Amino acid sequence: MINIKDLPDEELFTAGHTACPGCGVALVVRNLMKVLGKDTVVYLPANCLLVFSATYPLDAFKVPYLHLLFENSAVAAGAIRRALKRLGKEHVNVVALAGDGGTADIGMQALSGAAERNEDIIYVMVDNEAYMNTGIQRSGSTPFGAWTTTTPVGKKIMGKTEHKKDVMKIMMAHDVPYAATASPAFPADMLKKFEKAKNKEGFRFLQIYTTCPTGWRAPSEKTITLAKMAVETGIFPLLEYENGLLTVNYRPKGKYTLEEYLKIQGRFRHFTPEMVEEVKRWIDMRWKWIRTIEEGQKVVSGGE
Amino acid sequence: MYEVRFHGRGGQGAVMAAQALASAAFKEGYYAVAFPYFGAERRGAPVLAFTRMDKQKIRRKNQVYNPSFVVILDDRLIDLVNVSEGLNPSGAAVVNTRKSPEEIDLGMEIKVGVVDATSVALEVLGVPITNSAILGAFAKTTGVVSIEAVEEGIRDIFGGRIGKEAGEKNAKAARVAYDRTVVGTSRGEKKMVSKKQWLPTVQELPLGLATRSMETDAGLVGPGSFVENKTGSWRTFKPVFNRDKCVMCLLCWFYCPEGAIKRVDGGKTLEFDFDYCKGCGICAEECPTKAIEMVRD
Repeated sequence: MINIKDLPDEELFTAGHTACPGCGVALVVRNLMKVLGKDTVVYLPANCLLVFSATYPLDAFKVPYLHLLFENSAVAAGAIRRALKRLGKEHVNVVALAGDGGTADIGMQALSGAAERNEDIIYVMVDNEAYMNTGIQRSGSTPFGAWTTTTPVGKKIMGKTEHKKDVMKIMMAHDVPYAATASPAFPADMLKKFEKAKNKEGFRFLQIYTTCPTGWRAPSEKTITLAKMAVETGIFPLLEYENGLLTVNYRPKGKYTLEEYLKIQGRFRHFTPEMVEEVKRWIDMRWKWIRTIEEGQKVVSGGE
Repeated sequence: MYEVRFHGRGGQGAVMAAQALASAAFKEGYYAVAFPYFGAERRGAPVLAFTRMDKQKIRRKNQVYNPSFVVILDDRLIDLVNVSEGLNPSGAAVVNTRKSPEEIDLGMEIKVGVVDATSVALEVLGVPITNSAILGAFAKTTGVVSIEAVEEGIRDIFGGRIGKEAGEKNAKAARVAYDRTVVGTSRGEKKMVSKKQWLPTVQELPLGLATRSMETDAGLVGPGSFVENKTGSWRTFKPVFNRDKCVMCLLCWFYCPEGAIKRVDGGKTLEFDFDYCKGCGICAEECPTKAIEMVRD
């Protein structure tokens, strides 16, 4: 299993890119490229990553990348894979790096189609919980109550009124060979998932929690702290779905409270105690579902 | 007609400064407009904003190319961008710097007002956002608008957008900067050149193929060419590394979004690449032995 120390020194995602200081996406992609290695082709739909790492004529990726439309990441990546197969280059990794808007909302139909056809690609959803590239608009992946420019805080309605869309659950419903969620605050777990995704065949899905200090109105040095808190409070569970079975990789130990997590971020500044309760109810509901699946799996495998 | 060009960084609030100046000019009896340069700029990257003011109705709708005044919110931009491009020699420049006017080289000898707006902002606001303070220096240097009008303009724009209290604080920052501004003449020795654009022909860029990494008139282009873009000038704080406390857990190396921390000496120790470090502070925050400390750059 790969360890931080085993990562190569060479940067396939070079410095000089114009991401905001403390960008969670930049640090995740930098390490993902180290695991995937030189034989990789990247597909980028419209997202922050494209704009800060591939601004004509400059390019931060040392591997080839392709950019077409916003909504077809999974299909375009699948097409690259088929072309490479024709050329006899089956060892090359094909990875699509889409944002949460490009996955949960705009890219959903292409993603669902590619997952159903079991295209041989790695699809990475860098989840910063809003359309940050265009200036912080709400996406399906924006959490409940969060302030964005399209869910402003007023007297009657305060922030987003709906909860975050669970894309991981949707991917599990497609029965893909590999689907996982990861957080950069758990490096060993994240690298293990990168490596598993690299070595598997078929459609592989990764949802990675990437802090956006600018859009979340948080200090830039808190990027990793927030990623840690999100897992510890149960808001972002670390899960793995493999061979039809769900595994929980980390059980929250309650090192941080939900209130602490909300307090650091300006986008939750307006939270009332009732809103905190609502988030807690939602977290409990999701964990109940996760535990139910786990129990069910135990019963089934025990009965065989 | 006075035209003003603001050279700032994403997140420093150059656009709000341009708006507050327009509001101040309006209170002085001018017609005024303020508008940004639209680009895909992130927090920290060089950005532009403009203000145009006139005693008559303004019919000009284009970008400002020959400014009467330039306002530079970060003196490190002088080395990156041709800040005096098109600047009217009878105009003036306003610079946020710790240097004296005579130490500033703008490629032309011109009236320049200097103030350490970053220190003013840290003292008055507690954050290194210099857009309000620099307007105080603008009032002192140019005399086009009074400091009272600038304070009003800031209360108006800042107060409306981030709250009354913040508006009051920012107005105070402008006043403090006004009192500290030193006006003099810049040096004109440096040759300012605008970066060339890369405009390849069809032969140079074959259709259907990935661009190769190559050296051109405009510098390196293609895969990995972002190394040309030295982002080190973005930071306000920089990490100071204490080798003795380091246990080589490599967390900072792993967590650096820029890859600005390098393993050297066959992996025995670490080195910081200040050409690229943006000073986000993740390394200092996450270091388990507190071997890294953030200090004002």
